[in-house]
Amino acid sequence: MTAATQAADDLHATQRAAQARRKALAPWLLMLPALVIVLVFFGIPTLYMVRMSFNLHIDQRLYVPGFTFEHYVNLFSNPLFTNAILTTIRLALIASLATVAIGYAFALLVWLKPARWRLLFIGLALAPLLISEIAIIFGWWMFFPKNGLLSYALLSSGLVTEKISLMYTEFAAFVGLVYVTLPYCFFILLSIFDGIDKRLLEASADLGAPPSRTFREVMLPLTWTGILVAFSQSFIWTMGTYATPSALGPDTLWTMGFLIQEQMLGKHNWPMASAFAVVLVVGVAAVMTLTRSLQSERTSFHV
Amino acid sequence: MPVTAVNSALELKNVVRRFGSVVAVNDVSLTVGKGEFVTLLGPSGSGKTSTLRLIGGFEELDGGSIRLNGERIDHLPAYQRDTATIFQSGALFPHKTVAENVAYGLRMRKVAKDEMAKRIAQSLDTVRLTGLENRYPAQLSGGQKQRVALARSLAVRPAILLFDEPLSALDLSLRLQLRAEIKRLHDELKFSAIYVTHDQGEAMAMSSRVAVMNAGSIEQIDTPETVFHSPSSEFVYTFIGESCCLPVRVTTSAIQDKNGEEVGLVLAHRPGEGDCRIYVRPSRLRLVGDATSLPNRLRARIHFIEFLGDVYRYHLKSGALELAADHAGAIGRNVGDTIDIGWRNEDMRIFR
Repeated sequence: MTAATQAADDLHATQRAAQARRKALAPWLLMLPALVIVLVFFGIPTLYMVRMSFNLHIDQRLYVPGFTFEHYVNLFSNPLFTNAILTTIRLALIASLATVAIGYAFALLVWLKPARWRLLFIGLALAPLLISEIAIIFGWWMFFPKNGLLSYALLSSGLVTEKISLMYTEFAAFVGLVYVTLPYCFFILLSIFDGIDKRLLEASADLGAPPSRTFREVMLPLTWTGILVAFSQSFIWTMGTYATPSALGPDTLWTMGFLIQEQMLGKHNWPMASAFAVVLVVGVAAVMTLTRSLQSERTSFHV
Repeated sequence: MPVTAVNSALELKNVVRRFGSVVAVNDVSLTVGKGEFVTLLGPSGSGKTSTLRLIGGFEELDGGSIRLNGERIDHLPAYQRDTATIFQSGALFPHKTVAENVAYGLRMRKVAKDEMAKRIAQSLDTVRLTGLENRYPAQLSGGQKQRVALARSLAVRPAILLFDEPLSALDLSLRLQLRAEIKRLHDELKFSAIYVTHDQGEAMAMSSRVAVMNAGSIEQIDTPETVFHSPSSEFVYTFIGESCCLPVRVTTSAIQDKNGEEVGLVLAHRPGEGDCRIYVRPSRLRLVGDATSLPNRLRARIHFIEFLGDVYRYHLKSGALELAADHAGAIGRNVGDTIDIGWRNEDMRIFR
């Protein structure tokens, strides 16, 4: 090999290495704008909140810089607070399970129905997302009280004999939560269903499986990942949401969201509110990790 | 009670299926004998797939009856019918391995463990997939997937196998290979089958009998040879094999094209007066040698020439008539030359 070709080869090698570096860098460059937004607007405030939770709360001042575990100890020893945590988890759990069940049935229906119905169903599912949470709450205020739509409908259908109010009950809070998270669940599940060959249902029946068996053996395993994703997304939302359960539930329904608000604005205890928020964030992160570990390793069967 | 012939695996009687105002399957009657391989051949929309789906239980009948081994099955849901379909897409369960896919139907039939293992091994061996038991469908090629689908259906030993265009998604060489293999399996195992296809090559090569379907009805059902050589209708003639149509008007004195001009067409048996369509097949036309001594002749001009590999195809024109004729080699004539072509009586059909 001559020196000239050796030099040319070296040049090529360095060029290729530079190209490889650029290629490795490209995804980071593309992510940069989103990354900056996430770090500046979510990362820094979260860190600030964590720091805040260790500050002191003296003399009714919002906070006094310092370092104490007092708020965390208080949080886990005061039954008022521990009950709030349990209430929130219970409400979020039931609401999420119901949301996933309803969303699953709805998405299955849309998937099975002929394509001409599809747009209508998707429009229906999309509608609640176009209205703000507050406006939806106002809607429920028309629906649940004694002179509301529900009472009237039940009365005129003869199911009840006297006007009833479901306003400010845990049930109303529960319905409100399901309503808010349902569209997200539906779209997550529908996208999973759309990846499944409908012929699989026929193949299963063809081989002798009744519908219940087909559901258990074919549909459930193929949609399991979607169920987990829909559940965790719904759970995260219902854990953190404040407006809906406070506005629709009873005064005694003290969720974490409600207590954070109360500590922050009512009691002017910023460190306590922050500690509560940190626990909430950590709890949600734990649920996400857990559901992720429940997903099968083969997340997709389509190659 | 009417007595049904015991040696028929499947019997369709006056089967009707409508989709809205469209009659997809129109009064179809068909009997498949035990061990017989019947092909439903037709263009898309001819009702062949609908017929198959009615048998499998994926569509509901609007009239008629279906019997499997003498028993009415048309009121049963798909999962209670002793049929097994090989779908065009394969429809393998993506979350199950090859062995689990094959085991599925056996589990539903509650086949004993050791018998199940035996049958899985056996059917995978039949389709030559031994060794791939633990693969997932996504790790298989298109041809392998269809073999698994075939093994899955064979394993349950159904009263009849239903093939829904299983090869149409594969490329040509694989299609020919699997076609031969299905033929071999049928010769070996003697299963009863209905095979839906729009590929006449597949139909001819594999079938005991071919049912040519058009617009929801069976136009002709017979052995591949009979369907090919003695088509019963104009549709069958034009659908099976390549053909050229010569629309002519026969008058007392001459044979004219559609413009009323006389064409140099000599026919051994002159059809009666009026409009008719004469059909010939490009492969049966003679261009050289004894062409002029054949009973039917046409003088035509070479319009253009195509080289198709095995043959040269001469596209010819005579007045408003157009036709094509194949010849194994170049005939030494060029575009614009006028030549005589001839054909035998049995290579021509006249419809009016």
